[in-house]
Amino acid sequence: MQTALFLSQLLNGLLDGFYYLLIALGLSLIFSLGGILNLAHGAFFAVGAYMAVVLTPYVGFFGAVLIGPVIVAGMGAVTERLLFTKFYRIDPLYSLLLTFGLAMVLEQSMRWIFGAAPLAYNIPDILRGQVFFGEFIYSRYRIFTIAVAVVVVAALWVLLNRTAFGRIVKAGIQNPDILGTLGISLRPYLSAVAAIGIGLAGLAGILMAPIQPVHPAMGGSVLVAAFVVVVIGGLGSFWGVVWAAMLVGLVKGLMGALDLTAWSLASIYLLMFLVLLVRPRGLMGERILRFE
Amino acid sequence: MLRIHPVLIAIPALAALPFALVYMGLTTTSATEVVIFAMAAMGLNLLVGYTGLVSFGHGAWFGMGAYTAGLVALSLPGTPFLLPVLASLVLAAVVSAGFGMLMLRRSGVYFSLMTLALSALAFTVAFRWTDVTGGENGLGGIQRPVWGALDLNDGWSFYWLVAAIALVVIFVLWRLVTSPLGAVLEAIRENETRAVALGYDVLRYKLAAFMMSACVTALAGSLLVFKNRLTSAEPMSVIFSGELLAMVVIGGMRGYLGPALGALFYIMFREYLSIYTDNWLLWFGLIFMGFVFFAREGLAGLGRQFIERFFPGPETGAAMADRKTEVMPLPPMLSGTGDGGAVLEARGIGKSFGAFRAVDAVQLKVMDRTLHALIGPNGAGKTTTFNLLTGMVPPDEGTVTLGGASLVGVLPNKAAQLGIGRSFQITSLFPDLSVRENVRLAVQASHNGRMNPWRSVRQFDEIEDETGQMLRWVGLAGIEDARASSLSYGGQRLLDLALALASRPRLLLADEPLAGLSAAERERVGNLLKQVSESLPVLLVEHDIDRVFQLSDHVTVMNEGKVLIDGTVAEVRNDDRVREIYIGSGTTEVAEMAHHAVGDTVLAKIEGINVHYGKSHILQDVSFDIREGEILALLGRNGAGKSTVLKALLGIAPVTSGSIELAGRQLVGLESAAIARAGVGYVPQGRGLFAGMTVRQNLELGRIRRRTGAGSHWSEDEILEFFPRLGERMDTDADRLSGGEQQMAAVARALSGDTRLLLLDEPFEGLAPAVVEQLFVSFDKLRDKLSIVIVDHNLDLALALSDRTVALETGKVFHEGPSRELAQDIDLRRKVLWL
Repeated sequence: MQTALFLSQLLNGLLDGFYYLLIALGLSLIFSLGGILNLAHGAFFAVGAYMAVVLTPYVGFFGAVLIGPVIVAGMGAVTERLLFTKFYRIDPLYSLLLTFGLAMVLEQSMRWIFGAAPLAYNIPDILRGQVFFGEFIYSRYRIFTIAVAVVVVAALWVLLNRTAFGRIVKAGIQNPDILGTLGISLRPYLSAVAAIGIGLAGLAGILMAPIQPVHPAMGGSVLVAAFVVVVIGGLGSFWGVVWAAMLVGLVKGLMGALDLTAWSLASIYLLMFLVLLVRPRGLMGERILRFE
Repeated sequence: MLRIHPVLIAIPALAALPFALVYMGLTTTSATEVVIFAMAAMGLNLLVGYTGLVSFGHGAWFGMGAYTAGLVALSLPGTPFLLPVLASLVLAAVVSAGFGMLMLRRSGVYFSLMTLALSALAFTVAFRWTDVTGGENGLGGIQRPVWGALDLNDGWSFYWLVAAIALVVIFVLWRLVTSPLGAVLEAIRENETRAVALGYDVLRYKLAAFMMSACVTALAGSLLVFKNRLTSAEPMSVIFSGELLAMVVIGGMRGYLGPALGALFYIMFREYLSIYTDNWLLWFGLIFMGFVFFAREGLAGLGRQFIERFFPGPETGAAMADRKTEVMPLPPMLSGTGDGGAVLEARGIGKSFGAFRAVDAVQLKVMDRTLHALIGPNGAGKTTTFNLLTGMVPPDEGTVTLGGASLVGVLPNKAAQLGIGRSFQITSLFPDLSVRENVRLAVQASHNGRMNPWRSVRQFDEIEDETGQMLRWVGLAGIEDARASSLSYGGQRLLDLALALASRPRLLLADEPLAGLSAAERERVGNLLKQVSESLPVLLVEHDIDRVFQLSDHVTVMNEGKVLIDGTVAEVRNDDRVREIYIGSGTTEVAEMAHHAVGDTVLAKIEGINVHYGKSHILQDVSFDIREGEILALLGRNGAGKSTVLKALLGIAPVTSGSIELAGRQLVGLESAAIARAGVGYVPQGRGLFAGMTVRQNLELGRIRRRTGAGSHWSEDEILEFFPRLGERMDTDADRLSGGEQQMAAVARALSGDTRLLLLDEPFEGLAPAVVEQLFVSFDKLRDKLSIVIVDHNLDLALALSDRTVALETGKVFHEGPSRELAQDIDLRRKVLWL
């Protein structure tokens, strides 16, 4: 029984890792192409969760999972067009300030519309209950979410590595000036990447809504965790972010399994601090001289 | 910079504040809160506005100050006040010193992210360490003392105490900000690299600012705990840190009292708007974003702009004209103390970048009181050598000594302290500071008082005197108060020279000091350098060969990473080998191509193109045309502007006036993607292939958006007919190809789209002769279908390949004519390309 409990805690941690991955990948993408560190990413996560609450009465849970991220992605594209464009080539600190303000505004907007109290939102009936693997019991819903996350990350990988779109994005990350001389304007890709990245955060929010209290400030801790992942994995590296997300998730799970949940958050913040100190480009990232 | 001492503004403001707020329906508690937050915001601004380090976690210091004061107050008998407050200051100082030494090694965004992590960490600890901090419930039961007749439980009395403390803080911070240490903080914000190059140990200064900032904010926190009589983890949250930052940004980062204004704004906003709506923070957030977007200078900045509209400052344009520019004698501070002999000696230095040997067994000796020039064609290794000499890049082998002390592996600020003075090729000043402040910082760097945090900068007579000497000598007297960024390009170069010399170096290293200057300005700077060389040794890298020969005492010529010849001006000037590396030998291993008769149909018309990079006028009224079916060579010495012409054609250089017409379409003003789609293909210097992608994928990228019909169309098969070798390499990663194959791939990528004009930037660079010949033949065959413009420093090849040549010199078209003439007539070549 002990091992089963231990395992399930670890698995929960891994699940958390997948959420962090969805958010961190979006964060990393937006940053790699445009150089903007989006401090409002956590807020979009919260927006996604609220989308789930709002859409489910009309299109059901699965409908919300399909449509919600698209709406949030649309918001992302609009944000990029209206706000980010001016900040690409100037001192990166201003983009930090801008997105910080955006996060504040988004959070307060949600507070205004929905109130500060957490909203009730439940796991849909069809996904309730447990699945048994011999002695090991695990929540059906959580398995569903892991499955969705894996599919989405795989799809993203295919998009980035096996399509022309992905090649253009990678070329744009390497050398945006040369890309211009090949007749390819980067602007629509910047919008697309912002939309995808923010849409991913929205998706994570929708998936989290049934198992976490939905309230306006829910994006806060998720944001810092996502930053931890991106920093550890390395700004600009796909696989680095994947490994880091799993690592952070496991650490959290481990802390839970060892009954030290109170300190799990503190430990990952400390980890981020240490990585920034020793090797700011993370495990697999590139050196970004603009940031040093 | 404030003209009035801020304390004189603060006293009436602090006196009036409680009355004003009470009149408006608020209480003294609100007034006290304004003052406390103002202190915290000003503390944060020391870091953000003055030093340029953005902290997202200053709430941590605030909360830490509150908890420390609270805990100490509760653990001592009676109702202490001073001891808790002092305890919070001491703890903040110790903790900030510890963390600062770790964190300040990183700058910019990484530093900011670390503050975010630290703040989140501190909050979690405060929240969870319930035994000490009371966790969610916080710490309560703190009491305010009664001092004889003064009962601090009364709102008014407590306000006056807090106001008095604030006044002291304002005074002390002002002393800091106007001291030599404060000046260095601003230098770090403006241009950390230059501050280091002047010899400052920037980490120490940043640490001082960090500690002071933490202590002031912690002090504010400790006062808050007495105001509220309780505290919680809330002030340590990232949200509160964000609110502090918002106060700083909205109030104005660059004004001394700006953040205080921001705090006032915040409190009033909160108090008033919360009457109408619960969501006042939403509107506050929108206003914050508005300021970041439209008015980064904040309220204080808006105020300043408003004042300047009605009371404008002195016009720099007119002031520049009034500038005194007579020749002054060398200032006494620069009189050399040397005894002759070699000052800088490099023995057998070498450097490789991967397989590329940039510098090979270079020997160099700079003698005292000489003007020693280092020249050589593009790619000779001069810049790398220069960096090896200054300590910016460590040599793989060999030694570099300055007056006996080794410079190998020495950090730039240490090199400066050892006596290296360096002027930069790309202007590197402190842009927002005045001319005088710029020079003073350089002078200050070698003085003992440089870390003094208390005395006003103006009180250091010796520094003031030397600053004045430098300003007068270099010719900037009369415009000392102008912002460095507002000077003309020539003025900025003079200022750069002043900065390099103001720290009284043992040796001046000047990196292309004449680049981009007009003839008159070159004369002036040249004379200044000559004057300096009468007292100190000067090592100069320059492309203006005429002037180099005029000014120098000794010349070293480099080519392909090695020293070709080292001797007097006469020796170098008459040496055939030197001439050859600049103007070629007149013969080429590749047979001259049979030139087609080139028609007169104009494909592209370039008229009156001017390009400015900031203040520097790089291209002046460049005009020429490109005919159909021709190969045009763009030649000229380094720095002449050849690459810039290509970039102007491509839309990646800022064209300020002029017109470029390609097949009837105006290209100026279009973005580079549109120009590419209009039929302009580009093969960049260094090839610019995308790593991690195969040749096929690179070609695909060249094709996707350029199948527009705007030029001759090449199918993949046709391209591979031209470059059969590529056919075998289609699925190899681009970075695994040989140099020649990469060059072919880059050309193929350009041809994958419809092209009518192909631009080649240094296509033969670094290639073996056999490959060069292959490429040469390919380019020649291409001319049937499109026109080519080629820039290459291998003159023989470029002249043999091309039909016509346009020669540039300092951004102007200097000569235009058939390439054959230049190829065959060595005298003409010498006239156009040598002297």
